[in-house]
Amino acid sequence: MEQKTLIEVRDLTVGFPSEKDGIHTVVDHINFDIHEGEIVGIVGESGSGKSMTALSIMGLLNKDAVIMDGSVKLRGTDILKLNHEERRKIQGDDLSMVFQEPMTSLNPVMRIGDQVGEVLKLHTKLSDDEIDLKVAEALTSVGLKKPEELMKSFPHQLSGGMRQRVMIAMAIINQPDLIICDEPTTALDVTVQAQILALLRKIQREKGCSILFISHDLNVIKEICQKVIVMYHGTIVEQGTVEKVMYHPEHDYTRKLVASMPEQLTEDIPKDPLIHVKDLNIYYRTAGKIFTSKKDRMVYVKDLSFDIYKGEIFGLVGESGCGKTTVAKALTGLNTDIEGTMDLGGTMPQMVFQDPFSSLNPAMKIGKILEEPLKLAGVTDKAERRKKVNEMLLDIGLDESFAKRYARELSGGQRQRIAIGLALMRGEKFIIADEPVSALDVTVQSQILKLLIKLHKEKGLTILLISHDLNIVRHMCSRVVVMYLGRIVEMADVNELYENPMHPYTRMLFESVLTDKKKTDTDKITVNEVRPLKRDQEMCAFYGRCRYAQDKCQEKALELRNIGTEENPHLLRCCLRIGKDE
Amino acid sequence: MKKLNYSLIIGMVITGSLLLFALIGQFWTPYSITETSVALKNAAPSMEHIMGCDNLGRDILSRVMNGCGTTFLVAVLTVAIGCVFGVIFGALTGFYGGWLDKIIMRLNDILLSFPSVLLVLIFISVIGKGKYNIILALGILFIPSFVRMVRGEVIRYKEQEFVKSARVLGAGNLRIIFVHILPNLTVSMLTTAAIGFNNAVLAEASMSYLGLGVQPPEPSLGRMLSEAQSCVFNAPWYAIWPGVVIVLIILGFSLISEGLRKMTES
Amino acid sequence: MKYVLKKFITLLITLFVISILTFTAFSVIPGDAALSKLGIDASPEAIAELQQQYGLDKPILERYVDWAIHALQGDFGQSFNYTRMTVSELLSTRLPVTVILAAMSLLIIVLVSVPLGMLSAKFSGRWPDVLINQTTQVTMAIPSFFLGIILTVIFGIGLKWFQVGGYVSPDKDLLGCISYLIFPAIAVAIPKIAMVVKFVRNSVLSEINKDYVRTAYSKGNDENQVLYGHVLRNAMIPVITFVAMVVAEILTGSLVIEQVFNIPGMGRLLITSISNRDFPVVQASVLYITAVVVVINFIVDIIYQIADPRIRTS
Repeated sequence: MEQKTLIEVRDLTVGFPSEKDGIHTVVDHINFDIHEGEIVGIVGESGSGKSMTALSIMGLLNKDAVIMDGSVKLRGTDILKLNHEERRKIQGDDLSMVFQEPMTSLNPVMRIGDQVGEVLKLHTKLSDDEIDLKVAEALTSVGLKKPEELMKSFPHQLSGGMRQRVMIAMAIINQPDLIICDEPTTALDVTVQAQILALLRKIQREKGCSILFISHDLNVIKEICQKVIVMYHGTIVEQGTVEKVMYHPEHDYTRKLVASMPEQLTEDIPKDPLIHVKDLNIYYRTAGKIFTSKKDRMVYVKDLSFDIYKGEIFGLVGESGCGKTTVAKALTGLNTDIEGTMDLGGTMPQMVFQDPFSSLNPAMKIGKILEEPLKLAGVTDKAERRKKVNEMLLDIGLDESFAKRYARELSGGQRQRIAIGLALMRGEKFIIADEPVSALDVTVQSQILKLLIKLHKEKGLTILLISHDLNIVRHMCSRVVVMYLGRIVEMADVNELYENPMHPYTRMLFESVLTDKKKTDTDKITVNEVRPLKRDQEMCAFYGRCRYAQDKCQEKALELRNIGTEENPHLLRCCLRIGKDE
Repeated sequence: MKKLNYSLIIGMVITGSLLLFALIGQFWTPYSITETSVALKNAAPSMEHIMGCDNLGRDILSRVMNGCGTTFLVAVLTVAIGCVFGVIFGALTGFYGGWLDKIIMRLNDILLSFPSVLLVLIFISVIGKGKYNIILALGILFIPSFVRMVRGEVIRYKEQEFVKSARVLGAGNLRIIFVHILPNLTVSMLTTAAIGFNNAVLAEASMSYLGLGVQPPEPSLGRMLSEAQSCVFNAPWYAIWPGVVIVLIILGFSLISEGLRKMTES
Repeated sequence: MKYVLKKFITLLITLFVISILTFTAFSVIPGDAALSKLGIDASPEAIAELQQQYGLDKPILERYVDWAIHALQGDFGQSFNYTRMTVSELLSTRLPVTVILAAMSLLIIVLVSVPLGMLSAKFSGRWPDVLINQTTQVTMAIPSFFLGIILTVIFGIGLKWFQVGGYVSPDKDLLGCISYLIFPAIAVAIPKIAMVVKFVRNSVLSEINKDYVRTAYSKGNDENQVLYGHVLRNAMIPVITFVAMVVAEILTGSLVIEQVFNIPGMGRLLITSISNRDFPVVQASVLYITAVVVVINFIVDIIYQIADPRIRTS
């Protein structure tokens, strides 16, 4: 089938004037086409120029950015040469855009209906009533219920997923030829991400428009695009069909990107518990009242029981708000409001935090930061502290010169190395890594994970790895526990869990995960976002979102039961027995 | 080549030279600051008296030099009082929270929502007029703005991961406050102090203008303005220099705070 | 509605706290009013008699309750100084003058600074912005009473646009009163204009960089549509709070400026009464001024709530 070319980008070059070297080029002579009805992906890490490319096409570049060379033709007309007026006629009419942050991309003081309808007001001569009708229609088509009510509400009353749906409704309402999506799912939970991707594909199928999809996440690109463009430092290093680029990459960088996951760990660990947690409840104080008493606290994590064996990497997964971080806080003593047994095996658990940009003190030099744990441990000899700091810097793949720098002078990856070093400084054998790579670029992620594995092997570390990324957990961990709303819902050896997930929630997570196996259709994930049920109730917490829910699920408190063998337990908190074929 | 922070540089130059001017005025002035002279009453500016003479025939330049020092003294002492107590209260309430924090914050908010001049007036009417009373009154009134700044910053930093990390490593509360958090507040503290100087100068000048601050015969810029006003028909130039010096002092401090703000932004 | 109620309760609490503070403050003063009225030479009997007359011999709590009950009915007792008038009568002639003056400055501030701030933000970094920036930097540093003297010299003595010391009371000639008050109002307004312009500019600029503005552009809005249709309302929300703070300062600014322009408002009354240790008047004046500030804050909170749906609907 011969497809017509919609967008033709030739030699596009964008730069910023900088004080150092005249003009700093961020997009360098790139060429690509988008055909009608095609989904094209641009993948790259932060700073690769992918967003700049999108903004150039859309005509939304910052005022100080300069287009130095090239053309962007929309059906043969060079839109870079248009004046402001002509440009505006295209924006929102032929081209529309969905942004990364649904929380901030909507005007907080404008009603949803007005915001979605604004495009029509600007580009059509429809009356207000006609616009309202179209808005309601658009909201319905992106899977939002009660559109009339929704049109009257303000953005802050909506969840992240709903807001992103509103953004999409806004992008499709005027039937554009091209929708540019800039990391539209990055800020969302995995299950919501899968729904949004399915929605975008459905829209593309129904409306026949083209989509330019920008992401740092290869799996997302694989899931939705037909063609992919790989960008690196402002240039296109490779482009072609997803099949070709992802499975037979030619360029070195693409290969690195595709193979960014470390080799899966396979090791036999003796079942020698180091950490023993039994029936642990973790509480939070509810704030807001002047005098808080014990009664005002609320249980955040309930009936938590697990052992972590000496020398293993133990995985903990779940969506945001499931209590993953709360568990880490309890283990490290940041939250002391707990009931139950928590035996730390004589260790003083150390922690590697998620955000390397806030986990290092901006007012201290790296050397001083790394010395601090030694001071606290009572090492009074300055020379000895210095020596240990220098050794640690080498261990984490840096060098002694870093001691004299401030954290702000370091890259994200370097900072995370320091954060890991800081956790190991006291010589503790058990560390908790809370989403240690989720704030980092893909290729940097793999370096940090490899460093963790290296330290794990060299120093015999036991690690609790907390992550929302099921791919990472699969590669790093020997056993995995899945949490939902403050409770363990499933726990098993990594291979058992990944091959035979039994809890409906675990299954939903896996379906949402975009792996190598290309699924034909994930439209079946139509579960709506239901407000979470209360944490302290006895019935199944997943009931509201479960697609297998039955009446008996509401009846009684659920215990974790073993559905595996005595040697290889597979624990499950669900009253249903779902067959493998389902 | 880094772009120069002009606000900060100009602010420093203005404040620095005025400080020098005031410092000299404490030890040496061209004429006596208290000696009156009928012959020189309301004398216009001349080569001998470049700013002219006041209604009692005193040399205005000498009095401006000396009064400028009083203004700086009041400003420095008030900000010092505000800063010391503000940091202590702010850091502790921000860090520990709880009901004490809530009460202090409530009180703080009430105090902050009131015009400071009014509060000074109440204070003065209770403890009486005079230079040191003004310093005490202004100092106490500046505590809330420091408390609010320090508390806000401490609360913000308290939630940062590097503080949690220090805690996990075994650092105690006081160590976390003073070693880990407070050094991060240096620039905010300087900015608040610069704004404080600014307000202190303005408040001292207003109070002295109203006759409630520095008492005669000690010269004060605000007082001089009020004297100037009483003879505005005969000697309209009297008001210029005391006024201009006040403006320059305030301008210097506000440029410094502006410059500091720019520094934190970049 | 709950929000309004909450704010109203805050209002009452604030007034209560202030009334206690002012009352106790004036009760702990060494050398009470009777002494200061009669002078140090007065006989102890005379002082005791006067103390009894003013009720100064009773315990403080009783006096507070007594005072508060009367105050709620608008009765603040007798002035020590102006013997013919009750405090309320005295205040009722003075308060309107100060309120008119403050309202005029507020009007000038808002009318001038919001457009200037928007202009400055729109041309950020270019010459109009630089010009406005540098002017405001300087005008911010001029104390209003100094400005008042300058205005008197230039417009009163030099150009004779108004008669120095020629204040007329609003009951006699409202228009004449207002035209006399224009210059004091300007003197109070100018330094504040500078502050508000700066604040508006920064508020608009911080909004302009937000994501929703990019969304608005992506729909095909032009710069003015984005600025007035989307940015303005968001940018004004913090400005409302800021203006509320400025209002408090305008009030005190007018207290001082009354001295410069010889206006018989609250300010002059307060200063004279402080000098004379006329405590019933001081107490009542402080309470009146605070009440005005608190009520304005309350009104601003309500406006804030209307402007920001995030508060209204959550």
